[in-house]
Amino acid sequence: MEDIAIVGLDCAFPGAADADAYWDLLMRGGDAIGSVPARRWDPDDFPGVPGAGGFLDDADVFDADFFSVSPREAAAMDPHHRLLLHSAWRALEDSGRAPGDLAGSDTGVFVGMMGGEWGRLTMGTPARATPQLGAGSSNGMAANRISYHFNLTGPSLAVDTACSSSLVAVHLAAGALRAGECDTALAGGVNVLLSPSLGLVYAQMGLAASDGRCKPFSADADGIGRSEGVGLVVLRRLSDAVADGQRIYAVLRGSAVNQDGRSNGVTAPNRWSQQAVVQAAYRRAGITPDQVAFVEAHGTGTVLGDTIECAALGSVHGVPRPSPCALGSVKGNLGHLEGAAGIAALIKTALALHHRVVPASRFADRENPQLQLAARGMRLLKSPLRLPAGETVAAVSSFGMGGTNTHAVLATAPRPAVSRSYAAPAGASVAGAAPRSGETGVFTLSADTPEALRRNLLAQAEDVAGRPPGDAARLCWSSNRIKTGLPYRFAVTARDSAELADALRGAAADDLPATAAPRPWARPVVAFLFTGQGSVHAGMTAPLYRDSPLYRRHLDEVDAALAPHLGASVREVILGGGERVHEPAFAQPALFAVGCALARTLAALGVTPAAVLGHSLGEYAAAVTAGALDLDEAARLVVRRAAVLRDLPHGGGMLAVRAGAEPVAELLAGEPEVRIAALNGPSDTVLSGPREALSRLERALGAHGVDARPLDVTHAFHAPPTAPMAEALREESVQATAPTLPFASTRYGRMLREEPLDGAYWADQAAQPVLFDAALGALVAETFPTHLLEIGPRPQLLPLAGRAGHAAGLEGLHPAPGPEATGRELAETVAALHRAGLDPVWDALYAPGHRAAERLRPYVFCADHHYWDRQSGPAPAPASATRQHPGTPSPEPHPPTRPEHAPGPEKPGLVETGLVEPGPAEPELTEAGPVLAAVVDAVVEVGGHPRERVLREARFYEDLGFDSVMIMQLKSRVESRLPQIGEVSVQQLLPALRSVGTLADFLDDMVMAGAA
Amino acid sequence: MSRDTVYLAATGTALPGDPVDNAALAKLLGASEEWIDLFVGTRTRHFAWDPATGEVLRTLADLCAEAGSRALAAAGLDPADIEFLVLATATPDHLLPTTATEVADRLGMDHLPVYQLQAGCSGAVQALDLGRCLVAGGRRAGLLIGGDVTHRFLAARRSAARMPTEELVNHVLFGDGAGAVVLTAEPDGPGERGVALRGVLNRCAGRRRPPGQFIDWSGISDRDTERRMLAEDYKAIEEHVPAISVEIVWELLGELGWTVDEVDHILPPQLSGRMTARIMEHLPVPSAAEVSCVTETGNTGNALPFLQLDRLLPRLGPGQRALAVTVESSKWIRAGFALERA
Repeated sequence: MEDIAIVGLDCAFPGAADADAYWDLLMRGGDAIGSVPARRWDPDDFPGVPGAGGFLDDADVFDADFFSVSPREAAAMDPHHRLLLHSAWRALEDSGRAPGDLAGSDTGVFVGMMGGEWGRLTMGTPARATPQLGAGSSNGMAANRISYHFNLTGPSLAVDTACSSSLVAVHLAAGALRAGECDTALAGGVNVLLSPSLGLVYAQMGLAASDGRCKPFSADADGIGRSEGVGLVVLRRLSDAVADGQRIYAVLRGSAVNQDGRSNGVTAPNRWSQQAVVQAAYRRAGITPDQVAFVEAHGTGTVLGDTIECAALGSVHGVPRPSPCALGSVKGNLGHLEGAAGIAALIKTALALHHRVVPASRFADRENPQLQLAARGMRLLKSPLRLPAGETVAAVSSFGMGGTNTHAVLATAPRPAVSRSYAAPAGASVAGAAPRSGETGVFTLSADTPEALRRNLLAQAEDVAGRPPGDAARLCWSSNRIKTGLPYRFAVTARDSAELADALRGAAADDLPATAAPRPWARPVVAFLFTGQGSVHAGMTAPLYRDSPLYRRHLDEVDAALAPHLGASVREVILGGGERVHEPAFAQPALFAVGCALARTLAALGVTPAAVLGHSLGEYAAAVTAGALDLDEAARLVVRRAAVLRDLPHGGGMLAVRAGAEPVAELLAGEPEVRIAALNGPSDTVLSGPREALSRLERALGAHGVDARPLDVTHAFHAPPTAPMAEALREESVQATAPTLPFASTRYGRMLREEPLDGAYWADQAAQPVLFDAALGALVAETFPTHLLEIGPRPQLLPLAGRAGHAAGLEGLHPAPGPEATGRELAETVAALHRAGLDPVWDALYAPGHRAAERLRPYVFCADHHYWDRQSGPAPAPASATRQHPGTPSPEPHPPTRPEHAPGPEKPGLVETGLVEPGPAEPELTEAGPVLAAVVDAVVEVGGHPRERVLREARFYEDLGFDSVMIMQLKSRVESRLPQIGEVSVQQLLPALRSVGTLADFLDDMVMAGAA
Repeated sequence: MSRDTVYLAATGTALPGDPVDNAALAKLLGASEEWIDLFVGTRTRHFAWDPATGEVLRTLADLCAEAGSRALAAAGLDPADIEFLVLATATPDHLLPTTATEVADRLGMDHLPVYQLQAGCSGAVQALDLGRCLVAGGRRAGLLIGGDVTHRFLAARRSAARMPTEELVNHVLFGDGAGAVVLTAEPDGPGERGVALRGVLNRCAGRRRPPGQFIDWSGISDRDTERRMLAEDYKAIEEHVPAISVEIVWELLGELGWTVDEVDHILPPQLSGRMTARIMEHLPVPSAAEVSCVTETGNTGNALPFLQLDRLLPRLGPGQRALAVTVESSKWIRAGFALERA
């Protein structure tokens, strides 16, 4: 039978808000049983029911906005469903994937829950029925809602086999995975104690523990204590999980389900069927009973139930074995979670296999001697059991009151194979074999609101700070996989975990920190600006080369393309750090290599330009990036250019002037040998000519108060002394094609049109002035970039663009902004673009050894909104009704939705629901007009939203959680509020239903048309 | 279950902050950079405390947890796979709880034996020796950590002018750091060539010998005394350590039946750049490549052999052999071990 991997899990149980807290509770033998919260029912009203049980602290909390559920629908939704939605999101994150990435996949959802109490409580009187309640109260919807909200298209079903429901759900999910019906499955269950009804039933049957506590296998066992909670696991076929590098808690080896059939009464357990289901599961898992190290038993703590279960287990496990099979039941800690009991047991077992310790079973110290455990090859776990290394097999039982039994066999997860850094043969480069420690990664986080982002930043900060200090790269890579996809995006670079924790904590302290950005509505439009020659310096990009394997690869590639033409390695010249890089033979190939390698590095990271521009020599790398020249051809031309230059006499120079062309032109009249080499901006001009003439000009300009600075070049470019270089290029036959990207030409000072990038072009662009200002102006005007990226080893073009006014409103980024720049600046560029809406190829940022999954703390939902409807209270009718006869099949329901006339918060019976939050004073709508006011009123009425959230911009589906049923309700409310428009057809309305504002505008037009 | 051979699955290290070079240190101490270069030969070291202010930035537990975590990650093991932890140090954060138990907690390890060895330069070998016995006794995987911190014994703010030379030497000799090794019963995965621990020498030979190194601690009763908290008998160390090192090599070779030509790598004692070079001159392993770290890390006490192992493992080719030698002068413990990659 194919093994199934448990790759993610999430749970919330009494006294344990998440899986970590659950494990802590188990390891300290904690007791989660407490008294009935006042918001549920008054125990004094039900003397026959134990006044204690296991209750979640916040079973009524729901982050409705996160799931785009309107407050009215949230209040109508069965609390079981709400808990499941939170848990599903967190479980999927725990499996190492962004839940959004599964949208559209065939992921299956299998949810166990029993009864249908919410429906009975809310819909007992047909007059109370609403569409929301109808959808909110069916058990089947519990699974379907997860499928809907996550857009999962695999099997989706609820399972009700009473107390074995959730383990049966896991069994069915594993079967669906093995059958290929889905590639991922969410499975588990949920139970909420909405009323004391079932407690009364247990009491009447003599099954209720007097103290509300299950005491499994104890001499003190006296029955069941009820409890609630939610738990889900994420399952994959083991081979898929391993192939995808997912972390695995434990492996599900096999499971079985059977029935008591016609046993001793429909609710009586059946020893022979229990024995059969255990044997069937072991058979399917391919194991023998002596291999099972421990069994997490059903263990309800009823004397009869314990006796029968131990007899059944004993007849299977009482075989010759090295040590007795350990036995325990989590019901001693949590109580009986009924529909969710099986998943609580499964998660406990998976965690035990993961941690290799089985927690002690509570109440085991007074073992019931009647159970004869020792004689049956078993022992009750009175203290934690440390599991030995190697594979350990464990099993879980769950039995339903109606006789549906299930048993599952789990085993420890296989260890992933790691490629050891030192497995390389002797003599291999040490640096190349292992990922460099201290690699810069980008840690990402996303949330649905700024507030939620802050909340989650804090949670991550706390989590990261609590880990052993070390590299941040694996955490970063994992965050890129898991924590992206929600509207508000956070991204920050980090090398080690301490730095990361500080950055997260710091960001959480700001309102909307610089490292975060609101929902980007589109992908960024990036223009690459390739730097020209003045930026060359010794050792340029060497720290980046050391840090980034990606840049290393691309610079090596470009070096290899240049080498045959150059007869030397330009990479060695660059990284050597010496002044050779300034020699005419090397300076241009070196800059070309850096530009091409940077552009290719960015492309590998998913940063592709929408337009390119190259300043002077930078135009070669721009042409390669735009697909106009292939790398070899460009390499050949650049080397040719440099070779001609090498043979020209030195002597000329260049002067950067902080003034426009016109004031300079006057001075040039007296210096016929000096030319304008570049028009870089309204106050940036470069002159070229003999050094003496330039010195005279520098002094003259200084006298006029104009800054002028000689450039670090060997020749007077774009002037007659270098004309032979241009003419050599003119004779070249150039293999060029039309650029595949918009190409701003600094030769023409505009976007390139049909002109070929032939020898004549490259000759002219060397001989003529560089029209950077005009070219960049055209690029910005015609391609509407959002970001300008300078592609060169030192800032040159971004400052020019800023002074020329071309960068207004645009973000300038520089992945290699100077001699000190390391991998961090490159990572920061990627982080900034991610905040702006880019989804980079994250893998490319990390060495393979750092692409390893780490579990991150799952999403922390908003806990501000409670949707709870107390079933008793001062309102007389419900209380008296439930008090009438214990076990009344259908207690008087308490309407969970707000009555037509909104009650104030002081109204008894409704406690702190999202519906009765007092809104602020009426917003200023008079200015906006009566139609908008009418729309807002109608929305508030239908959706139950706080009035201040119904803004003009609020979108019906995404922000307000409207669905088709609510649209129909909205239509009738609007019609009754705006009688002058008469009846509006749905067809008419639909196009206008984007946002509150668009609907109001549409209706406004109708009112105007009617009045005309 | 008893096993003859144990394997070194992976290493991890933690060296806090940026390296502090001799120029920076000389400036802080008001000492001569040339003197450090010439007489100590150590070029850089790391401190887990701010040499300018004395503020402690990272505890020993921080460093040991980092090194341990890196070793686990490199071995591809989860904390739950580790069945024992041994931590060797001369400078624990507290007397109780032990730094070893705090590190176990930080690494997410629970319900396992945790040992702390109070040791100096031989601590790593003692840990290997104990780990070897535990694996031979049936455990499958253990984590060994060694580390030391200097903040209690060095105060860079004090001026060198007022410091006796032997005290000044301490300030330039030592550094902070931690290293770790994962020890396993099995070689790595199929197809992997495991690094086997072939032999361990761990012997205290200090009977009737005065200590060569002395580190003290104080409490309520004696915190006001003026005695020195860290002292070394450099004369005795210079005289005896090279000779003892040679004996250790011969002893390991004799026990294993290896010849001097069969040693491909040698991990000599790491007292200081200068001392290590002197010892190397005496060691009878002409063909062995030296694997040292002290010139870059300073003397990090219990971390040293782990830092050397971290450098050795990537270089140790199939069929190659390595010897490690260390002498703890506190009570003249002679220690060493031998490795071989299958």
